Formats: sequence, structure tokens, C-alpha cells
Amino acid sequence: MTSRAPIVLTLIAAALGLFFASFSTFDFVQHLDRQVHGIHCSFVPGLGSTEVGGTGCHVTLMSPYSSVFRDLVWGGIPVSLPAMAVFAFLFYKGADILLRRREQDPGSTGLLVLAWALPLLTSLGMGYLSLVELDAACKMCIGIYVASTLGFVGAVASRGLRLTGGGGGWRAVAADDPDEDAELPPTSRPADHIPAIGLGVGFVAAALGLYLAVAPDYSSYIGSCGELAKPQDPNGVLLTLAPNPGGTPAIEVLDPLCPSCAGFETRLDASGLGDELDRRALLFPLDDACNWMVNSAVHPGACTISEAMLCASDPAAVLHWAFENQEQIRSATTADPGAARSMVTAVFPDVKGCLGTARTKKKLNKSLRWAVQNELPVLTPQLYVGGVKLCDEDTDLGMDYALSRLLDRMGT
Amino acid sequence: MTASTALRASLALGAALLLYSPSLAGAWVGSAKTRLGQAEAAATAGPQVAIAAAADEDYCSAHLKRVLRRVLQSCGLLSGGGGRGCQPLEAQNVAALSGSDFNDLFVPLSDRAGIIQYDKASHELDHADKALLEQIFTDQKGASYFFVVSRSSPEGNPVFNRDLSQRRGEAVLDHLRTTFNDPDLDREVGLLWLGEEFAQLDTDFCGWNRSGDGTCTGKDINRSAFVAWIDCRL
Repeated sequence: MTSRAPIVLTLIAAALGLFFASFSTFDFVQHLDRQVHGIHCSFVPGLGSTEVGGTGCHVTLMSPYSSVFRDLVWGGIPVSLPAMAVFAFLFYKGADILLRRREQDPGSTGLLVLAWALPLLTSLGMGYLSLVELDAACKMCIGIYVASTLGFVGAVASRGLRLTGGGGGWRAVAADDPDEDAELPPTSRPADHIPAIGLGVGFVAAALGLYLAVAPDYSSYIGSCGELAKPQDPNGVLLTLAPNPGGTPAIEVLDPLCPSCAGFETRLDASGLGDELDRRALLFPLDDACNWMVNSAVHPGACTISEAMLCASDPAAVLHWAFENQEQIRSATTADPGAARSMVTAVFPDVKGCLGTARTKKKLNKSLRWAVQNELPVLTPQLYVGGVKLCDEDTDLGMDYALSRLLDRMGT
Repeated sequence: MTASTALRASLALGAALLLYSPSLAGAWVGSAKTRLGQAEAAATAGPQVAIAAAADEDYCSAHLKRVLRRVLQSCGLLSGGGGRGCQPLEAQNVAALSGSDFNDLFVPLSDRAGIIQYDKASHELDHADKALLEQIFTDQKGASYFFVVSRSSPEGNPVFNRDLSQRRGEAVLDHLRTTFNDPDLDREVGLLWLGEEFAQLDTDFCGWNRSGDGTCTGKDINRSAFVAWIDCRL
């Protein structure tokens, strides 16, 4: 193997990382128009069609880990954007070593190893979050993890192919290197690489700076999506989810089997903003077994689980369980309409005598009628803070930004 | 390649790569900004999603709604004050229909209605009556109004029968009030007691969901209270 081969490997890895990070950033930035978009979810992005939801890619994109500084800018800064800049820098650095024949300069290759350690460590962290916290695998992310690993391996190989001492530094010399006898540039000193480190920081800073500079201003949307017309609750249909007497009163319209509601809950927990709310839930199951406003069971079993929440002494516990087991409950109920009842009573036996009774059905109907009285949109989740609606478009990526500002407004 | 040429090539490549991420991200954000403006303009055209509303089924013809509105207003349901319920002649007047035409209005409700059957000269609800009433009342779905149309069979004194049908209707309302303790009851339940004088049911209604079993004559089916949710918005 020539001493140039590992550097070429880092170039290929950087190009691969840049490719995947660019598609990931594109998918994220698409959502800055506050609309729903399909995203690339393939090891060969661009060749297949995009996918709208339900995939690991979608779960990952909508998760709190896909971006940083979410309360500073709508949606936050996608982590794939600095990744793009880093891979671009790594490509440049590898090409620079090849062009200027620094592959045998231990300082240059050492810096390359250090630089590649950044995406590798980041990939390890993000991979852990993806698999352990989100239980989701994102193909585009996996592409980045593979590129990071390959690049690091290439960098280490370029540094450690063969080390010989002398001349005030290290030289890596390959036994079969055809250019071994050619005149090589002088060995660099550590201080020579400070500009390169600065340049690497510059790559990232330029990308982030421009992104922040051109990001749309969303402040005019805050609080512009309507208010509750009749927030009173004479029938006692609003369930206490997270009692917090000092918090801002908030009503969440939710369906216990709605994936978006579970995702919203995850984001709310991660943001810490839930602690500032005194949250109650309005049950709005998107299931035609009880809800006449939908033509089919969008979430089969949601009426039964909603009844269980109305029956339970701790409705939040039922909700938490339902969020954890949404897919199993929905698919089991599709096959057997009585499955949701069996599943919920197995975990919460106390609700058995209350489920399906006339009184409980009536109460769930009252819950749906509360939505009618307030002329709410037929969708979940919705959040009303102090009676003011958090815009539907702000319940996913833009939640931290919009909710924190809505809370500030309530505070004033 | 000389060292200076290599340096120049390296710097050129570095400059291009330095601009790669900001320029692409900037272009994508700019495009999203444009779409955001377009979406904002489109949003002013009206709501994009359905709004929660009470049911308004296909059978809610303009004619049916007109009759419903008259009946509900005259029977004190929509006005919100005064007494509850319409006497037979009032019902006939506000409906402005013949008895059979009045009954035809309720034919589309066959899946949503029940007929509570009483013993002769009685207004007491037995277990089967209560079970059917609760089953029908619980299945409100998106309906806005619950009609209780009580009758008597054409035997004996019309004045007694008128009073009997009133007691039958009120027995239904009392049971609902006791069982469900629903604060919305007074805004939802409309009573019409028709005695024996208006809109007697024919035996076709024997095939409907009813609490009585066994024989079903014209007299049997009219010792009853017809109960149904009306899935119409007024």
C-alpha cells in the first residue's frame, strides 16, 4: 500500500459524509416553510422517492436531537449543517495533504486524525441517542456514521503506516512507495497547523453564520393561530396530566394512539418547557368508533384507550403506557376490535368495570363536544397555552422556539 | 506539480469547499422562505383542515330542518325558557304536516331510534325499557337533539290518553336526568306527547328496535315513546 492510499480513503469518506450530510440538511431545511414534507430515507438518497412519516428517518428528524439551539432559532440549527462543513473541511484537508505531498508529514496526518475524531465521536454519540433513546434507525445518519468511521480509519492508517524517528519529527514511510526518493517538503511544526485548525472552525462558522443570518423571522406567527372560544369545563372532561399549580394553564388536545402526540410529548419533555405548564388534556380520539368527525378509524382502539383514561385514577399513567405501545395497540385492534380493551385492562385492571359503560361513553362524547363548542380543527396534537393556540405548524421542529415565546408573552 | 502550484490549487479547492455549505444552505433556506410566503398567502383563503362540528347527516333535508326548528322552538327547546314539551294540537300545528308525513320524517332514523313500549294505561319504565333507553341515549355521537315522541293507543278517553302520553314522555326524561345527571339535558331533549290524536304509528314500526317483545299490534306500538337522536345541525 502506498502512503497516499489512506489519504485517498479519507477523501472518499469525506465525500460520502458530505453527500449524506447535504441530503440530511436539505430535508431539514425544507421544513422551514412550516409545511409537511417527504424526506430522503435511503442509502442511495436521490434515487428513490421521499417518505412522509413513520420511518426511522422521520422519527430522527423530528426528534429533539436533530438540531441544537431550538429556542434561539425556529427548528434550531440542524446538526447535519456543521457536519456538512466538517466533511467539506476534511475533504479539503485530505486534498491539501495529497496536493502538497504532506502525507508523510506527521504533523499534517496527526491533525487529520484529530479532525476525523470529531465526526467519529459525534457519530458515536448520535448513534447511541438514535438507537437507545429514539429506538429508530436513520439510513442517512448511518451513512454519515460509516463515512466517519472510514475516514477515521484512513486518517489513523496514514499516520501509523510506518513511523520512523529523526529529524526533529516523525515520518511515515511506506516500503513500496514509488515516490519515496522524491524530494519531500520539510516536516511541519505543531504551530504550523494552528491556521488549519482556525480554518476548520471557519468552515463551520461560515455555514452557521449564514444560516442564522438568512433564517426566516417567525415571530409574527406566535399567538396568531386563534384562541379558545369557550375554555370553561362544566362537564369536567379535561384531564389533569401534569399538575403544576404555579405553571401557565395549558390544554393539550390529544389522541392517546396518535404518533404525533407521542412525538410531541417527547419533544416537550426534552425541551423542559413542559415544566412551565399546568397541563390538562382534552381527549380527541381519531377513531370513528366514538368520533363522528372522522370517516374511519385513523387510530383503531383510540376510543377505548380514551375511555380508560377517563376511568383511571392516574390518566397520565395510561397515556404514558399508550404512547409506549401505540403501534401494538393499533395493529391488534385492527385485527380484533376488542384487543384494545384486553390490552389496557391487563395493565390497568381497575378500569375494567368502568370501560364501555354508558356514563363513560357519555363523558367521552362530552369531550368531543367540547372540541365542537370551541370549533377546534380535527387534528391532534394541539396545545393551547392560556387559551392561545400554539400554531399546528409549531408543534414539531419549531416547538421550542414558538412555545418559549408564547410563554414569555403569557408572562408579560 | 511545483510547490507553489500545489499551494494555489489547494487554496482554490479550500475556497470552493469553504463556500459549499453556506451557499447550499443559504439557497435552501431562501427557497423555504419563498414557500413560507406562498403558504401564508394561501392560508388566507380559508382553513385547510376540517373543523369540529356536530353531525349533519344526509337525511337532514331542508324540510326536516324546518320542521325540527319549528318543533324545537315551539316546544321550548331552542328558546331556552318556559315549559317543556308540546301538546298534540300544538305539535300538529307547528309541524304543519299530516300524521303520516310527520312519521315519515323519522323513517331515516331507523338505525338511531328506539321505541319504548309501555303496559296498557301505564307510564312506568320496566328494566327492558330502561336498558333500551340508556343504550339509545348513550349512542349520541354527533347528534344535537334527542326527541322523545310519546303516544297512547286509541282506546278510552282522549284527554286521559293525552295526559298518559305526557306522563310517558316525562318518565323518559326523568330517567335520563336521574341516570346521566347531564347538565346539557335541557338543551338537548325535546318532548312531544301526542296522545291518540296525531301521528299514530302504523305496524311497520313493529320492526324497529323496541323494548317490548311478542305480539305487536297497532295498539301495542302506540303505547310507546319513540326516542331518537337527530343528527341535524340547525
